[in-house]
Amino acid sequence: MDSEQILHAKDESLAHLKRVYGDEAETVIADARYGFISGLLKDVLKKPAIDRLTLSDRIDKVVLNRWLGIPIFLAILYGLFQLTFTLSIPFMDWIDKGFGWLAEPASGISPAWLGSLISDGFIGGVGSVLVFVPVIFLLYIGLSILEDSGYLARAAFVMDRLMHRIGLHGRSFIPLMLGFGCNVPAIMATRTIENPKDRLTTILVTPLMSCGARLPIYALFAAAFFTAYQGLVVFSMYAIGITLAIIMAWIFRSRLVKGEGGHFVMELPPYRLPTIVGVLTHMWERGRVFLVRAGTIIFSVVVFIWLLEYLGALEPIGRAIAPVFTPAGFGQWQAAVTLIFGILAKEVVVGTFGILFAVEEGALGETIATQLGWTPLIAYAFMAMSLIYVPCMAAIAIIKRETNSWKWPGFVIGYTLVLGWLVATLIYQIGRLFV
Amino acid sequence: MARKEITIALAGNPNSGKTTVFNNLTGARQHVGNWPGVTVEKKEGSLSYEGYHIKVVDLPGVYSLTAYSLDEVIARDFVVDENPDVVVDIVDASNLERNLYLAVQLLEMGAKLVVALNMMDVAESRRYQINVKELSRLLGAPVVPLVATRNQGTQELLQTVVGVVKDNIEVTGMRLQYGREVEEEIAKLEKVISNNSLSKKYSSRWLAVKLLEEDKEIIKKFEEAQVG
Amino acid sequence: MMPLSMVSSGEEVRVVAVRAGWGLQRRLADMGLTPGVQVRVINSQRPGPVVLDIRGSRLALGYGVAHKIMVT
Repeated sequence: MDSEQILHAKDESLAHLKRVYGDEAETVIADARYGFISGLLKDVLKKPAIDRLTLSDRIDKVVLNRWLGIPIFLAILYGLFQLTFTLSIPFMDWIDKGFGWLAEPASGISPAWLGSLISDGFIGGVGSVLVFVPVIFLLYIGLSILEDSGYLARAAFVMDRLMHRIGLHGRSFIPLMLGFGCNVPAIMATRTIENPKDRLTTILVTPLMSCGARLPIYALFAAAFFTAYQGLVVFSMYAIGITLAIIMAWIFRSRLVKGEGGHFVMELPPYRLPTIVGVLTHMWERGRVFLVRAGTIIFSVVVFIWLLEYLGALEPIGRAIAPVFTPAGFGQWQAAVTLIFGILAKEVVVGTFGILFAVEEGALGETIATQLGWTPLIAYAFMAMSLIYVPCMAAIAIIKRETNSWKWPGFVIGYTLVLGWLVATLIYQIGRLFV
Repeated sequence: MARKEITIALAGNPNSGKTTVFNNLTGARQHVGNWPGVTVEKKEGSLSYEGYHIKVVDLPGVYSLTAYSLDEVIARDFVVDENPDVVVDIVDASNLERNLYLAVQLLEMGAKLVVALNMMDVAESRRYQINVKELSRLLGAPVVPLVATRNQGTQELLQTVVGVVKDNIEVTGMRLQYGREVEEEIAKLEKVISNNSLSKKYSSRWLAVKLLEEDKEIIKKFEEAQVG
Repeated sequence: MMPLSMVSSGEEVRVVAVRAGWGLQRRLADMGLTPGVQVRVINSQRPGPVVLDIRGSRLALGYGVAHKIMVT
């Protein structure tokens, strides 16, 4: 019988059932299934009479407590970051030195351009990607432990109230956390958010979560210009990112991506002891994305910049753009060049400075201070700009893939550029009045 | 010696330990891709067992097969369109009631189901007592207890899967009655559906139930069948 | 009869109706929340999310969702 008649018959049946049961047929059907299961379990499952509060529930009494919940979460988060950064620094040093050591003999290869290409281009390129592996992978190990243990679901629950105020839900929370490692797997993780408007909003603000690639920028300038307060300064960058993400999410949700939000319905699995295999598997799933996607792009960018530098094209490009940044205090062509290339891959900002001033990274900070005449204020404004402006190319590509259009990545590029410039300029101009 | 190829699909709720079971079965022989046409990840792996080459497809973790989300559609479509030799539903033993909701739907679809009763250690620690034999009898499908985190039960699971393939173990499923009024409407719809082309691929009863659930995907299939 | 959002921690109630749109009703039904089911409120943070003991597992619901579920 033809489909139209079938669908019509269906409508009739549904109307009839609605009259009889006073409820949607599908509820009745779901109920019947559960009824069958209940009946079945009476014969199959015996629970002890006192199956009341499990250990998980007791832990949750504390962890989900309305007053303790958020502080506990912040403490855990802080611990996670501290551990990650502290543990990763020695690794990053090794890798850096290792590549430096490799690059030395390579640069001796003739002809000179080949030697330079291999040492600065290839080795420098691979090195600048691998140097992030410790930070990103360690952070993801930490997050996997939190996730596998079941705690992350509680964190999402605890944060739900806050997220609700900006129009999002606890579910948006986990992808945003992943953004602190690398924005690319974070944006991919938004697939778990069912509501398309919540998902889009989350994608739009994920770039404001300061990823591992921006850390060297802060590290460089914080050490050179704020030696005594480095930790605090770096932390302030993360705080600015999170604050802006909250503000922008609220703005987007109320003006741009309007519409009904999703509903927060989430299972709280019982707490479990994470297994090593499980944690490593999850870490690898996310970290792999960084290595493969972000890594290949970063590598190509470094080689590309090498080429431009070799051809002497860097300075003219920089000079053309530099004036835009004068109100923010860093209107020099070198700064402009690093920012431009930072669009391709944020880690490149420090590397480009390195190429431009041809000094070792240790001395880079002072060199910039003296040669460009930067004050701590200017450095801070520059750091803010690097934090905010434009996601890296890999992230842009992922946004395009996940939203299926060029409109949204374009929008993200636009708003972050403007926001970055605004914030950097504000910092500099207002700061000038005091310093 | 000719190697026999079989495909098994792993289904289950999120948090049921499906990934661990998948890893236990396939070890390093895994490969990640995408489900066709969508950006959802598809994990596949393989192993050899008793002369069989077994391909394992990890379906997205879902609570139900009611086409509410892309994950559910993918899981459901795979079972119906690709017709895996066996569907293994990973059920959390400490959470039977909710986990069985999916198993029941899989059986209604006519899947050749093996229930992998995972997390037996957790159920034990809560002093649950589960009559596995009775569960298997009432469901009409084999049930294999596992503790995937300790890789316990994996061999028995494989043995059962092969048993189902060889037809030594029967999967009869259970017959769920939805209540008199609903059953009457189901019968009415079944009559109308049985002449439609779709009933060649899916059971008429299942289609009728899906229609009453206003399943978007099934309704779409009917609309499309009309055009053809 | 009252909304689930108003139930205090520790109380056991029975679900009477779910006053929500289609998608949410189905989602809740999938997780076991159907009319007639007994649930226990484990943790209630009004105005805020609620944790329920439902059919042996723990389900977290946002305040808005809890508000749409009528119980006695």
